[in-house]
Amino acid sequence: MTFRTTFIGLTMAAAIASPALAEYPERTIELTIPAGAGGGTDTSARKLAILLEEMLGTSIAILNVGGGGGSVGASQFMQAKPDGYSLFATWNSPLTTVPQVQNVAYSLDSFTPIASTSETAYTLCVKADFPATTGEEFLAELEANPGKYTYGNDGIGGTMQLAAERIFQARGIDAVAIPFGGAGETLQNFLGGHVDIYGGSISTVLPYVENGEAKCPLVTSAADVPALPGAAGLESLGLGDKETLLWRAILGPKGLDPEIVTMLADTIEKAVNEPSYVEFLKTKGEVPNVVKGDALGERLQSEYDGLAEVSKALGL
Amino acid sequence: MDFYLNALGSVLSAAPLLAMVGATLLGVFIGALPGLNPVMAIALLLPLTYSMDPLVALGMVAGIYNGSMYGGAIPAILLRIPGTPASIATTFDGFPMADKGEAAKALKIACWSSAVGGIASALALMTMGPLLARVTLFFGPAEYFWIAIFGMASVGVMVGSDPVKGVMAAVLGLLIGTIGIDNLSGQARFTFDQTWLLGGLDLIVVLVGLYALPPVLQLAEKCDLKGLSADQLKLTNVPFAPGEKRGLIPTWLRSSGIGIGVGILPGAGGNIAAFLSYNAARNASDDPDSFGRGNPQGVAAAECGNNADNAASMIPALSLGIPGNVVAALVLSALTIHGLQPGPQLFHQNPVLVGGFMMEMLITSILIFALGGAVATRVFAQFQRLPGVLLVPSILILMCVGVYVINGRPVDLWVMLAAGIAGYFLEKVNVPLAPIILGMILGPMAEQSVRRALLISRGDATELLTRPISALLAVMTILVIVWPVAKAMRRRKRQRQS
Repeated sequence: MTFRTTFIGLTMAAAIASPALAEYPERTIELTIPAGAGGGTDTSARKLAILLEEMLGTSIAILNVGGGGGSVGASQFMQAKPDGYSLFATWNSPLTTVPQVQNVAYSLDSFTPIASTSETAYTLCVKADFPATTGEEFLAELEANPGKYTYGNDGIGGTMQLAAERIFQARGIDAVAIPFGGAGETLQNFLGGHVDIYGGSISTVLPYVENGEAKCPLVTSAADVPALPGAAGLESLGLGDKETLLWRAILGPKGLDPEIVTMLADTIEKAVNEPSYVEFLKTKGEVPNVVKGDALGERLQSEYDGLAEVSKALGL
Repeated sequence: MDFYLNALGSVLSAAPLLAMVGATLLGVFIGALPGLNPVMAIALLLPLTYSMDPLVALGMVAGIYNGSMYGGAIPAILLRIPGTPASIATTFDGFPMADKGEAAKALKIACWSSAVGGIASALALMTMGPLLARVTLFFGPAEYFWIAIFGMASVGVMVGSDPVKGVMAAVLGLLIGTIGIDNLSGQARFTFDQTWLLGGLDLIVVLVGLYALPPVLQLAEKCDLKGLSADQLKLTNVPFAPGEKRGLIPTWLRSSGIGIGVGILPGAGGNIAAFLSYNAARNASDDPDSFGRGNPQGVAAAECGNNADNAASMIPALSLGIPGNVVAALVLSALTIHGLQPGPQLFHQNPVLVGGFMMEMLITSILIFALGGAVATRVFAQFQRLPGVLLVPSILILMCVGVYVINGRPVDLWVMLAAGIAGYFLEKVNVPLAPIILGMILGPMAEQSVRRALLISRGDATELLTRPISALLAVMTILVIVWPVAKAMRRRKRQRQS
């Protein structure tokens, strides 16, 4: 008797569950992050996941798959089932930059864009005793001394390097790129004087700007950045079209149900704009930026095309 | 000093204390189970604590981190399976000791040495943190290159009876280390268009296969169906012989120094610290040939060295905002989640939290004294009594679970199996395995650093030698190669005279 009731109960549950959408999400969502635990993308995604768990009423399991500048995680995720229970929290580089230098198995079509979450600019900084302070002086100094200065960046053909080279190409600047394993390592070598220029995320270097050890002449966004009042945005240098940002987004595998995409995109938008998340982003020098669905797809495509041009010119 | 007293008040309340005791125990287990490792455990657990009191969360990190560094020694001694990469050097003398029936003594020495190393390291973190952090900045790519070469020079200790085979093993490790995307050119090397190879072979996956599978297969070969009775396995508490502890003090001091020195350098880890400590102990010994045959000094050096790396590795993270390893990165990310900004101001932003975490690193090291020995002998050593037919499949399952969890992909299991089979046959033909792992760790470090250094010097190789610290490291490398040779020659001469 008991067995029978249980059996009927189970069949009924299965019958209700199979059309799925109304019930989504009903089990744990697996969120793949194409970077190791503890990095910028990881921290942002985990903090967001806490809010999403509450709003979606389900648990989110995080899987870090680092390596290959994000391409390893992206390649692995691309094979996930598009049932809404596998999501991908990434920054833009594995999708738009890495394919320019690596022979990757995925393309932009391998994913369903859901929503972007936040963005920040990269910055170029020098020690306090560097003979230039403003953005214009800085570029003039580099231009006048071809091959003299070294700048650290977080990986060859990485977004940071392409962001810098876009600016350098426009001004005919020749600076020596030294690739490191990440912003922390770049900072270590910059503070130790092993490279002349720090190139990387703002939050990492910010404490040293505040204590006067470093100064940042420019950021790679078109507009100025409030956290770095001394740094020039590219617009003010007449290079507004050379903007390159670091931004983060959540995607699904190819062929994800549009209804699930809309539902997730709206939930993500709500979570990103929660005051606690905005405050958290601020400590990292990031601001919320939500672009949803097809518009996000277009953003990815246009960035991909723009970077393809730069990397071709660089011969990467 | 005041802030440590303030912090101590917060740390010594019920919740953080409970977290530390629980996490230290858990850490010992994680370290002791091959495949499971502290980085993974902390990465899984820490995010669950984002909504908790940060001192509880950080207490757990400290406990797991310190506990697991010691825990790795337990299977290293009992089964010759290093629980973590940092306990490879512990197998060299730990397992021969166990073979001689001195397992209990080896475990006790490992426990004491781990605790001593951890305490020394935590004290360095608390007293000299910002100072030592500035020292790390002197180390640029040229210096990192020499550190890697210095580490490789210590391969000499590990090559065993046949140096040619030892060097071949090291070269194999160097080759495995080149697999994957080259960070400096973006080119994929030896990946054969396989996406899963882009990130290179995971050190832990190879380690578990190479080191855990051969002993497991040997256990299986014995085909033991009965196991040991409680009487046959004597693990009573062996007290230190008079003067024995004093004999270990020089080794502890030396290894703590080496562990702290390696720890403050971002990117160099506990495995390098343990290898270097072991090598230094051997070089300092009057009887270097007794190493590898169950010399307690070898166990003490390796275990003290790898625990002394722990708290010191937090120094660049907490003082400069530069995470030197994954655990440090996770700690920084937890602090960010709680609204703190990593960097030189971190300590002033929240002295109770940062100072409290430092205290927790100290307290969990002390806890190893209390908990470590009991856990090792009461629980783990009892596994030795299991008949092989139960022990072998249990270890195999644990290995598979641990390896699968690292990246969540089945292909890693095949890599582990392949490494294991290779390890089994390499041991049969007397090829030592440690140089393979050392090559995998140091190869990429040496290669990337030298290329970066040459990029910075615009191809001028003399700059590798003209900087003061790199020159010093180069001289030390030569000494570490020449010293054992000179010592052996002197001994032979003396023998001839007498």
